[in-house]
Parts: sequence; C-alpha cells; structure tokens
Amino acid sequence: MSLLSTAPRLLVDVAPRSTWKSPWKRVTVIAGMTVTSFWLVVLITLSWWAPYKPLDAVGGRLQAPSWHHLFGTDALSRDVFTRTLYGARQTLPVSVGVIVCAVTIGTVLGSLAGFFGGWIESVVMRLVDVTLAFPPIFLAMAVAAALGPGLQNAFFAMVIVWWPIYARLIRGQVQAVKHRDHIQAAVSIGATRWRILRKHVLPLSFTPALINATLDLGQVVILTATLSFLGLGAKPPSPEWGAMITDGAQFFYQWWVAVAPGIAILTVAMSFNFLGDGLRDALDVRAKR
Amino acid sequence: MRRHVEGRNWSKVVAFIAVGAIIVASCGSSKKSATTAAPTGTGSQSTTAPSGTTAPSGTTAPAGTNAPSGGAHELVIDRDMDINSLDISASYCDTCQIFNTAVYETLITVDPADPNKLLPRLATSWQANTDNTVFTFKLDPAAKFADGSQVEAKDVKFSWQRLGNLKGSASYLMAGMKSIDDSDPTTVVITFDAPNSAFLPIVAASYLGIINSDVATAQGATDAADAATADKAGDWFLAHSAGSGPYQLESYTQGDKLVLTRNDKYWGAKKPAFPRVTIAEVKDSSSQLQQLQSGDADISMQISVDAVGQLQGNADVTTKIVDSYNYVYIALSPGAAGGEKLQDVTVRKAIKEAIDYDGAIQALVAGKGKKQASPIPNGFIGSAGLPLPEYNLDDAKKLLSAAGLADGFELDATYPDANVYGVDFNLMMQKIQQDLAKVKINLKLTPIQFTDWITRINAKGIPVTAVYFAPDHTDTSQYIQYFGLIPNSFWAGSAGGGAAGKPMDNPKESDLLKQALGSSGDAKAKAYTDAGQQMIDDEIIIPIVNTQLVLASRTNITGMHYSACCNLDLGLLGLAG
Repeated sequence: MSLLSTAPRLLVDVAPRSTWKSPWKRVTVIAGMTVTSFWLVVLITLSWWAPYKPLDAVGGRLQAPSWHHLFGTDALSRDVFTRTLYGARQTLPVSVGVIVCAVTIGTVLGSLAGFFGGWIESVVMRLVDVTLAFPPIFLAMAVAAALGPGLQNAFFAMVIVWWPIYARLIRGQVQAVKHRDHIQAAVSIGATRWRILRKHVLPLSFTPALINATLDLGQVVILTATLSFLGLGAKPPSPEWGAMITDGAQFFYQWWVAVAPGIAILTVAMSFNFLGDGLRDALDVRAKR
Repeated sequence: MRRHVEGRNWSKVVAFIAVGAIIVASCGSSKKSATTAAPTGTGSQSTTAPSGTTAPSGTTAPAGTNAPSGGAHELVIDRDMDINSLDISASYCDTCQIFNTAVYETLITVDPADPNKLLPRLATSWQANTDNTVFTFKLDPAAKFADGSQVEAKDVKFSWQRLGNLKGSASYLMAGMKSIDDSDPTTVVITFDAPNSAFLPIVAASYLGIINSDVATAQGATDAADAATADKAGDWFLAHSAGSGPYQLESYTQGDKLVLTRNDKYWGAKKPAFPRVTIAEVKDSSSQLQQLQSGDADISMQISVDAVGQLQGNADVTTKIVDSYNYVYIALSPGAAGGEKLQDVTVRKAIKEAIDYDGAIQALVAGKGKKQASPIPNGFIGSAGLPLPEYNLDDAKKLLSAAGLADGFELDATYPDANVYGVDFNLMMQKIQQDLAKVKINLKLTPIQFTDWITRINAKGIPVTAVYFAPDHTDTSQYIQYFGLIPNSFWAGSAGGGAAGKPMDNPKESDLLKQALGSSGDAKAKAYTDAGQQMIDDEIIIPIVNTQLVLASRTNITGMHYSACCNLDLGLLGLAG
C-alpha cells in the first residue's frame, strides 16, 4: 500500500469533526424569531383586528381575566389585552429608533476617532468616557428628568446613553482594520482617506455593531419601560408598557393589570436577546470552526 | 470593550420573571370589601367653638390613659410624606400637621370625636368679646417646653407673629391680626382689625403651635415684620425642635424617615407612650399593606380602599374606613396661558357637567367616597343644601355648542404626579380625559413633580389641573380664603394666571366672608352657604370626590383616630397591654 493511498484515510481520522450547527436551527433562536415576528405583525395589523380601542371603557372596573377580556380590565375599565397589544406601537418603534440613532451617531464618531486619531479621537473618546462613567439608567433618568416627561424626551435620553457604546466599539474595530495589508494597498494606489474609510474600513468594522444592536434592543425595551414606569417616559393615557405597570402597581391584588404588560416586556426582551445570540453566532467566523 | 455583556441581559430577564412570579404568587382574592361606619348626625353648635362641622363617621375618641403604655415598643408609621418644612411657622402639608401636633402644642385643640368641641391644651380657658375682635387666653402655668422652661405669653406672641410675618402658605391664618398683648406671662390677648369668629378653631390649627421663643431666637428666628427675609432658623428646624409637645424631633432624612423621640419632661397628663416614633417614607399602598401585615409597621396611613379587603380576617390588623373632610378636585384657570377658552363661564360649566362623578368615584376609590357640591367639604358649615354636581352629557354638549365650541378644543392639563387620599392623580386625570373626550375636549395630560407644579402654578397658572385639600382647622372660612375669588386667595391668583396674570375677583364672596366672620349661628351658616353657592357659580373649583380614610393599624395600637385639625395626634396613641 502506497502512502498516497493511505493519506486520505489518515486525514479523515485525524481532522476534528466540526461541531458547528447553524444558529438558525436552534430552538431559542427560532423562538426569538417567532415572538419577534408576532410582535411585528401586531404592530402593523393591530388596527384591523384589535378587540377594543385602547382608551375606551369597555367593561366593569378591574375585572379579572375572562373570555371577553383576556387580560382583564384596569381601574378605568379599559381592556388590558388591547392596551398591551397597543403598547407595542409605543415601545418597539422607540426602541428601534434609539438603537438606529445610537448606532449611527456611534458609528460616525467612532470611525472618525479610530481612523483619523489625533485630536478628533481625544475629543470623542473623552466624551465617551464621561458618558460611560455614569450608570446608564441613572444618566437616562437624569437627562429625561431635565428634559421633562414624555416619550420623545425619553428617546433623546436613551440615545445620549447608548451612542458611546457604539462609538467605542467601532473605534476599536476601525483601529484594528486600518493597518491591514489591503488597506495599505489602497493607500499606496492613491485612494483618498474618506474612500478608504467608507469602502474598506467601515464594512469590515460594522458587523460587531450590528450584533450588539440586536442584543441591545432588548435592553432598550426595558429602559424605555423603566423610564415610563418612573413617570419620565410616556404620558398617560398612553398604553406604554412601563406606564401600564405603574398604573397596575397600586392594584397589587388585581395582578393582571401589571402582569400583562410585564409579560409583553419579557417576551420582547427575550426574543431580541435570542435573536441577537443567533446573529452573533451566525456572523462570528470563529464560532463556525 | 463592551460595557455590557450578554449576561446582563439575562440578569434583567430573570429579574422580570422573578417579579412576575412574586406578583402571581401573592395574588389572592380580588374581593373588595370594607366596613364603612354609618354617618353620624348633624353636628351641634358649641358656644366656645363657633365652627360647626359634622364629625366624620367612624371616628372614635381615643382612650385616655395617663401612664405611658408603649413600654420599649417603638412606633413605626408608614406614610408617603409631603413635608415642605419642619419649621412649624413655614410648614404647610398633611404630614406637617402630624409632626406639628406631636412636637408643638396649640393653646386649644379639637376633640377628634367631635370637631365642634374645643379642648384645652396650653390654655386652660379662653374667651372672646362680643364682636369677636378680641380674644383672651389664660395659659396653664404647668405648661413646660421640652427644655423645662415655662410656656409664656411672649412665646405665643412670638410664634403667632412669626407665622404671620414669614408669609408662608399658612400665614393666611393670622390675617387681620392687629396686636398681641403679652404683658402678663400667663395671659395672651390678641386683637383683630375686624370681627373674626373663626379664630378659636384657627387657634387649634397645628400651624399655630407654640415655639420656645428663647431657643428659636438664639438660632436666628425672628417674628419681626421682615421675618420672610430676616429669619435664618429654617435649616436649624430641620434637625431640631423647640416645642412643648409629647415628642421631639430626633432626625429627618428627606425621602427616608422622620424620627421623633419621647419628650421625657412632657408636662401633660397623658404621657407619650412610645420612646421613639418613626414615620417611614413608604410611597405606595401595596408596600404599606405588606409592612403592616408583616408587623414591620404599626400604622399604615395610605392603604387604598381597594386593598382593605386583603386585611379582613387578619386578627393582627385593625382597619376602619371613616369619612373625612379631605377631597381632590380639578381647577380651571381662565387666566392661564392656553386657558383662554375657559374665560366663558358656560364652557367651564360644560366641563363640569361632562364629568361622570359616580364613575370617577367608582374608578378612583372603589365607590368609597362622596360627591361634593363646592369647595366647602361635606360636614362643614355651609356645605348642607348646596346642589351636588351632576353628570349631564347632553347639557354639556349644548353649552359648548352655545359657546361656539361644538367641534371641541384642546386644553393643557398639567398636574402633580401624586397619590393622595388613595386617589392616583394619573388615574383621575385619565378618567376626566375620558369623560371630556365625549364632548370633544382633548385634555393634554402632563404629570410633573409637585415642586415643579407649585412653581408653575404660582408663576403663570395652569388651564386644567388637579389638586387636593385637607382642612387646616374646623371653620369654613379657610375654604373661602383659599378657593374664593377674593383678594389674596390662592385660587383667585392662580385662576387668573398666577404672577403673570391678574387675580380673578368676585366681590360677593369677600362680602359674604366678612358677614360670616362677624356673625354666628344661622346667620353665619347662611353666609357660608351663600359663599359656597358663589364658588359653585364661579366654576373654577370642581370637586371630584370627598374621600374616605382608611385607618389601618396593628391591633395592639390604641387610640387610632382621624382629627379634623391635626390629621393624627401621636400623643393620643398607645399600646394595648
């Protein structure tokens, strides 16, 4: 037997078997996608099939869950199920908006800081350091309180809290990428710095930000609800989940008033986290080895 | 590199699951029931107390014992506190009434079981001249401050003049004071510019408690005419007290607790029962309920009527729902920016008729409350016979149509984010918003912090807002002085647009107040009733619910009561066994 004839067999025996499994087939990720899809469908189609209007008094006061009112009614006789569904229209757009703005601002400033360095980097990173020196919840509360209650102001407060995370992340990625050989090659053939940043550096640096954004969505949902719970977010009678929990907190023994929006927050936050985990594993080449 | 890692996501998710599990696990029956004592009869007129309020039903006179009954037990009271100051002359809040009554003493006080009956405290006797312009009080020679010094007429003069001159919220109580004679240390003679038949009940107001003038003066306090700017004792009073009451201030931490210690030298017959009293800041009804059930609190002062049913069958806890003079109301301010459409009184009347009062009382306090006709609460002189507000949607629409506003309009409704007397203002304003939407009036709700609300309403008024009121004393005059459209009234100014506007004016109310203060008996009652009707016709103040009060305490606490002047007199509490 020649060496050539044995070689393939040896290779098969010695090479480790790949344990990588597509994240999209994982139960948690499928659950995350399903729940997220559910809420997206609710968000888009709710007006056509909602059982009641969110502000209308439709039953008795503080009625327990029943077939007529799946999550019962609140103190003003409003259907809690309907209000919980409508809550998605408040929380989800705000959460996605916060992440989009934070990623955009963080990406622009972080990439400028990482790519150009010098005073730009010093200014941006000190700003980032100062912002990150405060616990996010307290900073968001302080900003929201200073701006005044309202979902719009809570939105700005959360963007202020969140953009530095992405600025720091992108800066690090850009610094790692900008010294690679193909970037040096682009420099040597005379490509402008702006072109190199846009066409070569940013596309390679953006993936971690995308993964983070998905994972952070759940946290932004919780922070939005927290600010509303504290009276710094949505104003009454808006069916925002955090504000609904505030309303329900005083009816401790009519548990359905607070539990329904709590479940909504739970499902949305978990589904975004599951999706984020799946996205990370799918895009992380090291996980595929 | 990342500030937050995936694990933190999970910790929050787990926390939410835990909270949800706790809520579900602790939910019990949603049955809501409570015992409501039957209303008592009409209050009787007293020769010494020209007030005439009907005793709140269910209020019982505290058992009187002379010996301390608390032993080493320290009393813990849960309360959502609203303290603005611990300087008695600058204070003005419901919690302040409790503190002032425990630490300072008034010359006379109100019997908790009968608001018409005035009882001696620092004064042994008192009398008024025939036209109620001169009042003479004889001080008890045994009365001593906590430092052992005697309570003298000069202390009374100092305290009352300082109250008037500090120009705080409670300064109105001394309006019309001309002079105080303190030449005899045991006799106080106070003279007014005009008849003031309300003064004896006013003397029982907690804000008229007596300060040890020597101690306070040494700390920068002054009773001079410029006290509003010259007095420097406010900070000192946050950590010290200078009274003769059964308790003394030990410490106060805003947002945490107010701690009182027993005045071991207390001169009165009923010695303070507890070595220490802690009023803990516990904001929500649910937490107060749980602490009372577990024994962490002896008294919980703001348990909602919805939660009272959960305490039934618990032998360790005693609850009683009693009538009170407290109420919550909405106020319309035509002079505020954005309130221009309210300048037409028919529009204000339409708003009043568009509110479903019975529905509101059901939604806000589970039906445990009463409608109220005017700013004069049920039971006070002048309240009887006035027409209660009625929900009349059709009439409201007609009125708005007549005013050319059938298509509706928008109004700013900024209000304090508060939960008072068991009424959540967020809930109340959402209910009002629901009701007004039916006549196409869109209320734009904005809850804000109480301090911000005060600043705003003083500066420029608010078109629609929500507020609360508990009596300072047992005479009806306070309601005309505070709500009437008369000079220096709070609501005359705020409804007119605050400092930026022009106070509203209804000269008839000034005349009726003058008549009432110069008369007694039926004439006085009629003047107050007429003033009440005038305030109804103003359509500025719209009472939503006259609330009932939940008295909830551990069964071994004796003397639980509701006092019309003082909220809760800690000196009357004791421990059974």
